[in-house]
Amino acid sequence: MAIVVRLDEQLHARRMTLTELAARIDITLANLSILKTGKAKAIRFSTLDAICTALECQPGDLLAFDPTLTAED
Amino acid sequence: MSRTSTTALTLARPVIRGLTILNILYAAGISALLVFSFFIEGWPQRPLGFDLTHAHPYAGFGLRVLVAIGVIAAAIVHTILRRLLAIVDTVRDGDPFTLENAGRLEAIAWRVLALEVLRFVVASIASAVWEPGRIDGFSIASCFAVLLLFVLSGVFAQGARMRADLEGTV
Repeated sequence: MAIVVRLDEQLHARRMTLTELAARIDITLANLSILKTGKAKAIRFSTLDAICTALECQPGDLLAFDPTLTAED
Repeated sequence: MSRTSTTALTLARPVIRGLTILNILYAAGISALLVFSFFIEGWPQRPLGFDLTHAHPYAGFGLRVLVAIGVIAAAIVHTILRRLLAIVDTVRDGDPFTLENAGRLEAIAWRVLALEVLRFVVASIASAVWEPGRIDGFSIASCFAVLLLFVLSGVFAQGARMRADLEGTV
């Protein structure tokens, strides 16, 4: 998929672990891990809202479009 | 899920198994009746104790057709019960909203419709012998049941597709 999730970079910039984020936004670690590794097929606005609130960032900081990536990636 | 629904689902499996056995016994019984009817001398007046041909000259043939329809109906009921059991099993396994169950419900709907057609044929034969011109084969409740099954299969199919869309959503 050409959509890239940059959750890892945002967490690294704030020196926060995925477990800490999961505890703050009340989303399971397993689901956040699926999002972080780019295996998620879709993201709810409520999830995006919670992550942006916790990390004090914009949706554009978390998601990017890379046209060089194919649908199979 | 309400307590009534849970109880119904708990009871469904043994009830369906029991009905399957009863249906097989019924099919075996009427199949034997059909076969023996060709070997019993003076059938059907001798076993019945009265002459049906007074009511209609083809009454004996009509009786055989009724029994044959009974065998066909039993076979259809057997396939319905097998599909119903498969649906109940998916509920027990915790994954009932699948396209397979939607297909099973649609197949059950077609079979119930076929049973209704057979019921109409049986009523027509019976009326030809006993009360010519009066056919009691139509039932509005049965038509609603068939319609309900088709609607439910559509709802299941749509639900399964929506759930597939949600898989992988975070």
